[in-house]
Amino acid sequence: MRLFDYEYSAECYKVRLLLSILEIDHEIVPVDVHPGRENESAEFLALNVLGEVPVLVSDELILRGANAILVWLSRRFDPEAKWLPNEPMPAAVCQGWLTIADRLAAGVGTARMTLSRGETLPDKRATSEAHRLLRAVDEHLWFAERRGDDWLVPLPHPTLAEIACFPDIALCEEAGVSRIDYPAIRRWMDRVRRIERFTLMSGIFPASPPAPRTPVNQTQTESLS
Amino acid sequence: MAELSGWFPVAASHDLPLRHVFQAKLFDREMAIWRADDGNVNVWENRCLHRGVRLSIGVNEGLELKCQYHGWRYANKTAGCIYIPAHPANAPARQITNRTYPAVERFGLVWTTLEKDLSFDVVWPDGDWSVLRAIPVHAGPDAVAAALCKVLGAVPRPDIHAFAYALSTLCEAPVLALLQPQDSGKTVIRCLLSGGAQMERRLAVQANATLTRFRNIVEADASLEPVESEPVFEPVASELAEPPAASPDAMTVRVERKWQVAEGITGLTVVPTTGNLPAFQPGAHIDVTLPTGVKRQYSITDGPGTWKSWTIAVKNEPNSRGGSRFIAETLRQGDLLSVSEPRNNFPLRRDAAETLLIAGGIGVTPLLAMARALAAVRSGFRLHVFARSETHVPLADQLDGLLPAVTLHLALDPAQVAQRLAEVIGPHAPGRQIYACGPGGMTQSVLAIAEELGWPEEAVHFENFNNDHVIDTSSAFAVDLARSALSIDVPAGQSLLSVLRAHGVELPSACERGACGTCRAEVIEGTPDHQDAYLSRGERASNRHIITCVSRSRTPRLVLDL
Amino acid sequence: MNRTESEPSRHLWHPVATVAEVNGTLNTMLMGDAVTVRVAGDHSGIVVFHGDRKLPVIVRFGFIWTSLGSPPSDLFEIPEAAEADRRNVSAGPVGVATSAPRAIENFLDMAHFPFVHTDILGAEPHTEVKDYDVELKETENEILATRCRFFQPMAALSAAGGMEVDYVYRVPHPFCAVLYKSSGADARRMDVIAIFAQPTSEESIRAHLFLSMIDTTHTDSEMRRFQQLIFGQDKPILENQRPRRLPLDPRSETPIRADLSSIVYRRWLSSRNIGYGVIPAAGQSGSAVHG
Ligand code: FES
Ligand SMILES: [Fe+2]
Repeated sequence: MRLFDYEYSAECYKVRLLLSILEIDHEIVPVDVHPGRENESAEFLALNVLGEVPVLVSDELILRGANAILVWLSRRFDPEAKWLPNEPMPAAVCQGWLTIADRLAAGVGTARMTLSRGETLPDKRATSEAHRLLRAVDEHLWFAERRGDDWLVPLPHPTLAEIACFPDIALCEEAGVSRIDYPAIRRWMDRVRRIERFTLMSGIFPASPPAPRTPVNQTQTESLS
Repeated sequence: MAELSGWFPVAASHDLPLRHVFQAKLFDREMAIWRADDGNVNVWENRCLHRGVRLSIGVNEGLELKCQYHGWRYANKTAGCIYIPAHPANAPARQITNRTYPAVERFGLVWTTLEKDLSFDVVWPDGDWSVLRAIPVHAGPDAVAAALCKVLGAVPRPDIHAFAYALSTLCEAPVLALLQPQDSGKTVIRCLLSGGAQMERRLAVQANATLTRFRNIVEADASLEPVESEPVFEPVASELAEPPAASPDAMTVRVERKWQVAEGITGLTVVPTTGNLPAFQPGAHIDVTLPTGVKRQYSITDGPGTWKSWTIAVKNEPNSRGGSRFIAETLRQGDLLSVSEPRNNFPLRRDAAETLLIAGGIGVTPLLAMARALAAVRSGFRLHVFARSETHVPLADQLDGLLPAVTLHLALDPAQVAQRLAEVIGPHAPGRQIYACGPGGMTQSVLAIAEELGWPEEAVHFENFNNDHVIDTSSAFAVDLARSALSIDVPAGQSLLSVLRAHGVELPSACERGACGTCRAEVIEGTPDHQDAYLSRGERASNRHIITCVSRSRTPRLVLDL
Repeated sequence: MNRTESEPSRHLWHPVATVAEVNGTLNTMLMGDAVTVRVAGDHSGIVVFHGDRKLPVIVRFGFIWTSLGSPPSDLFEIPEAAEADRRNVSAGPVGVATSAPRAIENFLDMAHFPFVHTDILGAEPHTEVKDYDVELKETENEILATRCRFFQPMAALSAAGGMEVDYVYRVPHPFCAVLYKSSGADARRMDVIAIFAQPTSEESIRAHLFLSMIDTTHTDSEMRRFQQLIFGQDKPILENQRPRRLPLDPRSETPIRADLSSIVYRRWLSSRNIGYGVIPAAGQSGSAVHG
């Protein structure tokens, strides 16, 4: 299985994440999007007429775009259907998050790519839109935490919702969108980064190691006065 | 923006799970807030003192916060830098301390203030309160306050806080709102709901929805872009731009517990009389000044992140000059002692793949602190303790916590000790390091055996409690102080250290017998006449340092970096 | 923003694009001003405009350099890049929300390898920065750091396994730095990696990366990907440094021995009165006028 991949692409990172978590053997084919514009070459356009990474080429089929690849990988390599649930409710909720992820990609994701090429943003629409979305995600996660839920879809384990939403949220500060006002998102990011076999990309740091099960003697914070 | 005095909420308690770093802002000052594994909440300036990287992207290691850029580690509570990975064999200057803000956790919120010495004075109405989701609004605090009153009919409650408001329109239960001014363009509304721990979800949802609508009204014309204000930072302490100076660092501690920790060894647990104990590094010691005027050095045995008490162990020397005898016989629980800030002449490298800690008797004290530090970061180590018998093993109960990494070697004769040492030391491999502490004879054999087994000198570290040299003070020479632009003559019979001090040059010192290295200075030119027992052979040969309390000069002139 | 004629960095050459990057016309920023780069189809005529004004142009290492002021007659050289068997590749530009001096200082820094470039340029516990030498070469007016060594698990694409790597750093220009490191392919020669920071404003840059490598096995794309991976890891660090401008007051931050090159670099900027992208030391305002 070969992944046509660009290091800085959040879309490609979604696929790299799931490949790593599900321990799927694969080969990376680097596509020099910037500055090489290899994605506009005739060979690549033959693979994907949209001229976009990621593209996954397996013996069975060729898939274009992160969502298609994520769905196929989950159905094909996750027999317990954890990452793409089967039950009607979680399946539908998960799809809803894939839509949010697409909105994030189109807005803040595109803004980030523009800025990271050293170009200036045409306007602030994308970043304002990002703040609106992040507010909604933060609110959702805050209430989820109250219910004892750690993840976007109310299940005891993460799903494709995490895989699809994490990259653009974790990279949004590169687009000038600060996460200081989204504490529930920041905590969720720690949880996502502690998923087993989670993998990093440039621009994302590892989370603090989880706390040991037996806590140290508890003391109380006191006034310094 | 104009700062207001008083305490402000900057986070909710539920914002601070273990091993997380929260990012906050109050009056243009960014803060990194983290809860240590012992429950303590730290509110720090959001900037690593080294190269200015935000600590909110750092790693909460439980009892230390590690900067993401160069891995500097700062201790829980004190924010003292306790490890600089780029120089694993050097102890960081103990004055490197991040700026901290006062922290109080009350009513489900974390509070801080920009003022110094302001006691916490927020009086909360009785009853049970639970914290709702914070709502940041893109408008200054005065605008938000005015809108709260106008749109939501809020009633100011200056009796509680300058920015407190009572709200009865958010949901079916009464709510108290507090404003946290982030900067001139952003304010966080933090609401508490009356009704206690089992907050009804329905009410929380209602209140959140009302506040969200309120925010949309206030922000109707505002942009969601942050105001880029100049961050406000304090300059680092002037000592850090200068060579390390002597600090008048004595403090008073109280003996909380005194007990026998092994045959002939007294344990003391001391606690601060006010505030907290400063940060210390594994291997560090304190100078204890006894009422008899005698000054003695004792290693701190505690693990990382300890700030409430220190435990030291003192061997009763029958022919002591009044140090250990006083502690064994006269000192009592509740007594006060004058101690120095922790100093470290025995820094622990944390870049070893395997650390061998070899203790003889009382020498286990600094190694215990090292073992705990290594265990906390899951770094490989073994602690070998040599003692006459089981009852001679100091702090044996505390060693139990480190099993199975501890091995006791009991009742061996000198030949057996040497043989056992050779076995445990083994051949050198890259990444193996030895730390030895114990009676002079034993550290000497560790050195000799390690050398025989091919260990390089820099991989074997030991702490000396004594300098057996007879000091020769017959030479006379001149010193130039490069930074102070001073030339001084050192006559025969006087130590370099005392002459420096007579000329107003402050240098810290402790043992003044050439054993502890506290009074070390850097040599720029000239060849020192080393008479100390502190510098290693390599350091001695490089002639880049001098121990000023005993060493002199072979050349007529020495240039020191002072 | 500092746009006064007396600002020394205004009279330096600055990179604005690679020749290959310009598809006819490219609009970009230089020190807060919009400039337009035009390249004729056959790469023969290269012109840079600032409004109607034609700016001076030099093409070197495949990059287009210009200046808003009166630049010196020539630009520094990287002689190795001319060797016949070198692979000269540009990997960038990358936009970073930081000042040019912060980016240069980061480029000179080895101590961050184990923490920022984990398992590639460094790995814990190998964190030690051994003493190295830094000199200010008066004649060339550039900084040279030598005898730099660092343990690296995977120093370059062509390196197999961990090794202690030798580095030499040059700072031939306030906003440009060049590093030489032992080549994984040929131990007797040095790979060259350079950063040319284009200050788009005081607090934002386009980082142009230039590689001149001894490497016969990897494609340009693979080499670019590796360099972008590395620089992409530095980017969030740089964007989280506060203040974004480099503070020149010795009391503003806490250097250690490993920061010798940064100490010399900061002093050198001060002595050259560079006021752009820095916070001058108190009492040493240079020519800077900050608004
Ligand atoms: S900036 Fe924090 S360790 Fe260097
Ligand atoms: Fe780097």
